[in-house]
Amino acid sequence: MLKESLVSEFQKIVGNENVLTTPEALKAYSYDGTTSWIHEPDCVVFPKNTKEISEIMKIANAEKIPVTPRGGGTNVSGGSVPIMGGVVLCTTKMNTIVKIDKENLTATVEPGVVLQDLTMRLMKEGLFFPPDPQSFLGATLGGIIAENAGGPACVKYGVTKQYILGLEVVLPDGRITNFGGRTLKNVVGYDLLHIFVSSEGTLGIITKAELKLNPIPPAKKTIMAVYAEIAMAGESVFRVLENGVIPGKIELLDNWVINRIEEMMPMGLPKDADAVLLFECDGIPEAVEKETEKIVEITKKYGAVDVRVAKDMDEANKYWMARKAGFAAVFGKAPTVMAEDVTVPRGKIPEFIKRCRDLAKKYDVEMCILGHAGDGNLHPSILSDIKNKDLYERSLKAMDGIIEGAVEMGGVLSGEHGIGLEKQKFFRRAVDPVAVELMIKIKALIDPNNIMNPGKIWD
Amino acid sequence: MKDLTELKKIEKFADQCMKCGFCSFFCPVYQEERVETSVARGKNYLVRLALKGEQEFTPEMGDIIGKCLLCKRCAANCPSKTQIDRVVVGARAQMVKDKGLGFIKNFAFRKVMANRKAFGRYLKLAKAFQWMFPKTEGNIRHLPDFLKALGHGRNIPTLAKTFLRDMVKPVYKPVNGEKPKMRVGFFMGCATDFIYPELGLKLIDFLTKRGIEVVVPENQNCCGAAIYFSGDFETGRMLAEENIKAFKDVDYVVTACGTCSSTLKDYQKYLPDNEDQQKRYEAFEKKIKDSTEFVIDVMKIPPEDFKLRKEFEGKTATWHDPCHLIRYQNIKEQPRAILKALKGLKYVEMPNADMCCGMGGSFSVYHYDLTKKIADKKMDGIKATGADIVVTACPGCMINLIDNALRNKMTQKVYHFLELVE
Ligand SMILES: Cc1cc2nc3c(=O)[nH]c(=O)nc-3n(C[C@H](O)[C@H](O)[C@H](O)COP(=O)(O)OP(=O)(O)OC[C@H]3O[C@@H](n4cnc5c(N)ncnc54)[C@H](O)[C@@H]3O)c2cc1C
Ligand code: SF4
Ligand code: SF4
Ligand code: SF4
Repeated sequence: MLKESLVSEFQKIVGNENVLTTPEALKAYSYDGTTSWIHEPDCVVFPKNTKEISEIMKIANAEKIPVTPRGGGTNVSGGSVPIMGGVVLCTTKMNTIVKIDKENLTATVEPGVVLQDLTMRLMKEGLFFPPDPQSFLGATLGGIIAENAGGPACVKYGVTKQYILGLEVVLPDGRITNFGGRTLKNVVGYDLLHIFVSSEGTLGIITKAELKLNPIPPAKKTIMAVYAEIAMAGESVFRVLENGVIPGKIELLDNWVINRIEEMMPMGLPKDADAVLLFECDGIPEAVEKETEKIVEITKKYGAVDVRVAKDMDEANKYWMARKAGFAAVFGKAPTVMAEDVTVPRGKIPEFIKRCRDLAKKYDVEMCILGHAGDGNLHPSILSDIKNKDLYERSLKAMDGIIEGAVEMGGVLSGEHGIGLEKQKFFRRAVDPVAVELMIKIKALIDPNNIMNPGKIWD
Repeated sequence: MKDLTELKKIEKFADQCMKCGFCSFFCPVYQEERVETSVARGKNYLVRLALKGEQEFTPEMGDIIGKCLLCKRCAANCPSKTQIDRVVVGARAQMVKDKGLGFIKNFAFRKVMANRKAFGRYLKLAKAFQWMFPKTEGNIRHLPDFLKALGHGRNIPTLAKTFLRDMVKPVYKPVNGEKPKMRVGFFMGCATDFIYPELGLKLIDFLTKRGIEVVVPENQNCCGAAIYFSGDFETGRMLAEENIKAFKDVDYVVTACGTCSSTLKDYQKYLPDNEDQQKRYEAFEKKIKDSTEFVIDVMKIPPEDFKLRKEFEGKTATWHDPCHLIRYQNIKEQPRAILKALKGLKYVEMPNADMCCGMGGSFSVYHYDLTKKIADKKMDGIKATGADIVVTACPGCMINLIDNALRNKMTQKVYHFLELVE
């Protein structure tokens, strides 16, 4: 428990209404998007600016109190769960879009800006911020940067780290510092900026970010390719890319997911298909036309039984709605869902899918697969129930198998959700020991008292 | 084990939440406060804890459950279709069951009572009305609530000199003297009754001109919105029974208030305690039509057949979607179709037309400051359209829109869609 006196010090800094200590509020800040991780903080603080954060950190550091940064709390790795108690430092009230610089295609934002708010603002200027985690309605830029989030658009546009030019950060001891800048190129010294991108709140608090933007492509087209065999869909992904077309998005839905979506909101997806791939091409109209033709040709050649090009925005939106509903379709169907976010080299997708299906059979668990196939980032999800011990244990084994499989094939533990608490047990198995050692040393250097989001990643 | 009957009824809705946090983007309350207890995800979580016996109904919990407009914007956009309105209302009902109505009202009233000026005005207003309904407890209990909402430092619409209930006849025959096409019951609702009686007369006139017989049963009561939404299911059921009885002999029940139509339709959703009630409330639901849907879907008047009243010619109009129309009853296109087809009127869609105006019934009584902030966003949307008039179909929304337009020194006038047409 926190000392009373500390609470009143925090209150002095941020104002009474910005410190929460009621049991109800603490419970409401004990969770994130995962099902399995819950722990209450001792208090929740909502700073309004960098200076306040600096003052809070000074106190926390002196008193050695754990501080867990939190944005929208949408992460699915346990990252923002204050597993050691202490303070949850929530940035949701720091939500100003400070500046949009059209000339330099940059935006300056506070950490609590919600991605969709930024997207809407940028739309008016004809610009967009390419990283598009599918949690865009709740995720904040602080969280997105700290998790190095990505989404469907990563095939073509890459992940968050490619769009962060500069960061303002408050270090655990309260010092305010800046990394990077506002230029596209920057080769001055070590790239400390990128240690903070994907630091999962363990190094410091991101208080401002300089983002790189793109102009909105003038044309878009959506293509749905239908497969009788999911491995064929997997193959189509790299066939399309190796044939020189880089679509904006390539998403995969398997038979199970298709049917759940059709149950929830019938929209005419092919229920018999073993899998579908959704492609979106974007760019200048002529190029989009050509790319679309090419995708139709290649997917047909490599086993698609049906290929549909959305005739208008409405039809395209329908398909993308289906993709977005995918998550809900899965989560709504079982009390406990283990949704993986492993990523394999693209060429391995068919082999990896086969491995997943074998594991499901071996352990007798229900599993479905959806994901951002375009970058090899798949979400095999196991429908389980933590209250059913036998099923739960089999599910855990299947999940271990999935992760081991991915790593064996040259993939990684997490493509986008981060390690947090969820993937800790695999961390040391999957990461080179020297790299782990360096990470631990960096952590000790920046955060000697281990107050920043303690208990996460390798702990 | 504690009796958790009401919570058990909504357990499956709360369990649907997968904690994705999408609701935060759509919740007008969260958008202002930015704390987790304001939003559906937090409320669901706490209710689930209550179900597990890990959270008591503390006053704080009451505040949290109370701070919801029931606008259902979160639910409409929830990927798992979590029905937060049912969770919140169910939790309030459980609290009333556990602690009695006094408990809820007590802490809820706290903020109002603390404001002596507002409280005084409320008492005066409430007193002025009390004599009208000496017998029906429902009215007395609910009316002060409503009037308080008006009195809380606001621009209060003038109360009608004569209330509608004192003007109407029990039966109106079709004007043309022919055999009626159908028999429709008119449900007044309190806002139409006390503040906008002319709306009611207008609707009766509109219907009888088109060959419909309109009956206005004398023993109809309040729809019950403010009552059962605050968890008083017992009184809610009493009202339901009375209203069902009052309207047993009509083909349809029509209202000029979006909240009323929605509340009457939804008895079946919130109130039933047994199968018999469930069945009867469901049967009642089928009869209820909001005026906006009745004229288009039942009377099948083509939108282009509506005639604009002279005084609105050349004006630009925008439409505000009452939560109780768009999300509770799925009425979105009907009023727009009419407005767009009205010759002489220009229609402009406002940004965020579907966002709650901030009224939320008694929400605005207890959280007037929040109401103002939410309404300011609505006002920005209205200003952005450049419209001269704002049209809607719920007197509750009208009151709030007028209040906030005045507060923002705006020139836009607010009308019920019935007021626009001949
Ligand atoms: C339905 C759903 C879909 C999702 N889809 C995707 C997807 O497509 N791609 C993807 O990458 N992720 C996805 N996610 C995961 C999650 O939304 C992202 O990781 C997101 O970036 C988290 O943002 P947040 O604001 O919610 O951060 P939080 O969950 O609050 O925090 C995430 C981590 O960042 C740290 N943090 C937060 N703010 C700061 C700050 N200011 N400074 C330092 N550290 C901070 C926290 O301590 C925590 O470790 C999804 C989640 C859900 C529920
Ligand atoms: S949007 Fe629905 S599922 Fe997601 S957190 Fe809100 S209530 Fe839960
Ligand atoms: S019903 Fe409206 S006010 Fe209540 S939680 Fe949902 S969005 Fe927020
Ligand atoms: S909806 Fe409002 S105005 Fe209409 S009767 Fe019910 S409480 Fe009164």
